[in-house]
Amino acid sequence: MWSTAREIAEGDLVIVWMTRDLVQPLAISSGKELNTRFGVYRHAELIGVPYGSKIGSRNGKGFIHLLRPTPELWTLALPHRTQILYLADIAFITSWLDIKPGSHVIEAGTGSGSFSHSTARTVGPTGHLWSYEFHEARANKAREEFSSHGMDEIVTLTHRNVCKEGFTVVDTVDSVFLDLPAPWDAVEHAKKALRKDRATRICCFSPCMEQVQRTIIALNDAGFTEITMYETLIRPHQVDVTPPLPTVSTIGNQLKEMEARREAKRLRQIANSRSRGDKRKREETEDSAEDQSAEKRHADEVDGSGKRVRTEVSVTQELDATLTEQPTTARRANAVTTTSDAGAGPGTDGQNLTAHVVKEETPESGLPPSKPSVSKAFPEVRGHTSYLTFAILLPASAIAEASTNMESPTTEPTPEAEVTPATS
Amino acid sequence: MDAGEGSSKNATEPVRTIQSGDTILLRIPSGDVRTLKLEKGGTINLGKFGSFYSNELIGQPFGLTYDISDKKLEVIPPRTFQEVEETDATNELIVDGQVQPLSLEEIEALKKSGVPASEIIQRQIDQHKNFQLKTEYSKEKYKKRKEAKYSKSFSTIKPTLFNVCDYWFKKDQSRLRDIRPDTLSQILNMANIRPGGRYLAVDDASGIVVAGLLERLGGQGRLITICDVESPPAYPVLTQMNFSKEVISIMSSLNWATADEEYTPVLTMADANADTPKSESQRSRVNKRKSMASALTQTREELFAGEFDGLIVASQYDPFSILEKLMPYLAGSASIVVHSPYVQIVSDLQAKLRDIPTYLAPAISEAWLRQYQILPGRTHPLMNASGSGGFILHTIKVYDDPSASSVNTHRRAKKARSEQLVSRLSSTAPEQTPGQREPAIDIAAQSAAIQMEVDPSNTPS
Repeated sequence: MWSTAREIAEGDLVIVWMTRDLVQPLAISSGKELNTRFGVYRHAELIGVPYGSKIGSRNGKGFIHLLRPTPELWTLALPHRTQILYLADIAFITSWLDIKPGSHVIEAGTGSGSFSHSTARTVGPTGHLWSYEFHEARANKAREEFSSHGMDEIVTLTHRNVCKEGFTVVDTVDSVFLDLPAPWDAVEHAKKALRKDRATRICCFSPCMEQVQRTIIALNDAGFTEITMYETLIRPHQVDVTPPLPTVSTIGNQLKEMEARREAKRLRQIANSRSRGDKRKREETEDSAEDQSAEKRHADEVDGSGKRVRTEVSVTQELDATLTEQPTTARRANAVTTTSDAGAGPGTDGQNLTAHVVKEETPESGLPPSKPSVSKAFPEVRGHTSYLTFAILLPASAIAEASTNMESPTTEPTPEAEVTPATS
Repeated sequence: MDAGEGSSKNATEPVRTIQSGDTILLRIPSGDVRTLKLEKGGTINLGKFGSFYSNELIGQPFGLTYDISDKKLEVIPPRTFQEVEETDATNELIVDGQVQPLSLEEIEALKKSGVPASEIIQRQIDQHKNFQLKTEYSKEKYKKRKEAKYSKSFSTIKPTLFNVCDYWFKKDQSRLRDIRPDTLSQILNMANIRPGGRYLAVDDASGIVVAGLLERLGGQGRLITICDVESPPAYPVLTQMNFSKEVISIMSSLNWATADEEYTPVLTMADANADTPKSESQRSRVNKRKSMASALTQTREELFAGEFDGLIVASQYDPFSILEKLMPYLAGSASIVVHSPYVQIVSDLQAKLRDIPTYLAPAISEAWLRQYQILPGRTHPLMNASGSGGFILHTIKVYDDPSASSVNTHRRAKKARSEQLVSRLSSTAPEQTPGQREPAIDIAAQSAAIQMEVDPSNTPS
């Protein structure tokens, strides 16, 4: 299939990873240029670069990752011609159908080739995939694609309506995968294509329960057994890193502090307006010391209101709190103690106060904050793809033997006639 | 690439039948699965379901159902389902209790006389007071329940990866670290396992991951596993897979000591003072030690040479420490898949990895699976289901280019700046004038942010 060399070469298909939601295939052809909103890249400059490299754009704006294609990346990047199969279903079907290196597999229809690439990878050069597509334009497009991905040896693509015309092989494959609107019409054809010398497997992929009902009747009538049905999905989880959740007593204390500060402010305002009245009377005789204390009081007020805003922020944002939240809480606690000190003795030196705060908090913020990670399922996920109906077709010889056994039941056992000692 | 070409590709690969020495899985009428090692000329005892000569199974294809009669096996047709015709019966007239149609003694006597199970069930039905009052669905259920009890039959199960994983999972899921068949298949696909690839695996899940890797490699490529014991690890799951020697031959194992580049093998030092072997047995012992030592050295060199295509981890140890250790040996664009029964383990890992630029887009997912009872007119999900198959983290190894700048770097810088702003605002002490730098701000974060500001990151956001 795709290149297994360490470095990217001319003609290689690479997967350009821009973001999780923007992954696209790129055929390297020197002379061409890749122009995206994540920068401009000359193909020639990508040749010789190891797969998996992060490449900065020529103008320094943005970068891309160049990945080696895998069927899983191809599923993310492929051009959609139809609804496609995704990882969960592909993986489960591969596993149940026992697809492995050397397996011979039929797939109908080809669609956008998502399942085809995965199966071609898994069966490898010793296996084979026969793929059928009834829509001619899609068949041609897929054929082109398989060819350019170096899958000619592994995949045989046929344009045909298998429900009407059946498959091109007889008594050949180990498993059949039917992703058709009416799989029941292809069940008998599938039976012909399956090998008769061993137990073989079939999977029908249908989104509707009504389709499943018709399919299981067809499978049962055709002699398939162990009919079973599954639904499988992938639930992606998102991870968030949060600081430990604050306790309600912290919040309670914060609210108490706020109330106390508001009360203190109110008393100060009353005192201020009184002193202002006094000041007017003896404006001329005021000394500088008093000036300072007024300034100080003013600073306290500003600080008080600023802090209130902050506290409210921290209460409302407690869930998506930033990493700095914890040290901040500690600092605030310190600041609060010092503020009330200042309230008790208005003459306290401002410089000492600052030093005190800094000294208290330095060891606090020096510690790495503990960051528990939490996870939850994505808010919106794929809820249904299709029902996977599976069944087994036993070897023809076994079915024949069983039916003769049923027709002529053996004569009743004679337990005492021949006593054979058990060896174990 | 056209019609018809396919028929020439008919496989030459012979049919794999049941062989002496195989470890096989049998489904007994109760629905339980048993495992046993098949030896030529033995007798296999299935308890109340009967016993039979093991030779009867040898050479048989997998997947058939047998009746046991007189220690011999008879292939019986597998169960097909019939449409159940609706009747007027509603179960409403059934009086609970007093339904036992045959006494225990009578049943035992019937069983001893060799009467087939179907006969016993029929007699029970004949004497069952309420049977005709049952709905057709209830009758079916009743017959099925009785068959599970009395029929002397069983089916062989093909040891596919799915079936073996399913057997182990149902038997004791903790031994598989909760790896369910659907989870396992996702792991193998996410890790892009292909024949001919070279992989690393850390499997503390009884070998289910190793079994999957070996199956998907099909004897082509390479697998190095790293384990926590001195001698090569026992991967018990491999027993049921019945792999051929060729399939297993591509696997070598190291442990966390021998996988360490600092480690000096003790074995190589030992053969220095064994120059003059005294006896034949000693010579062979020395030779054996030498070949073991050279195999070990070779495997170590191979690991340290790196360029592996993928890594799968299902381990009880700290996954981050495992990735740190093995990351250097992975090729660019290699897939890394880490499984854990606990979401916390992989979330913590994801939180660490997303800050390291050599791990591309680490993502966590959980497999969800639902099986249905499939019967005409009676289709519904099974009443009992597995709760979880564990959690998977997938990421891709990339080579970082620290000089490249991106949307993300730009956003991160912006975020760092705003965080800084928040912390600056909130830490402003009462006497500080606005804009004064808070000395407690993390210096590293700051300088990083400043660097980003200088960075010519110019993104379209």
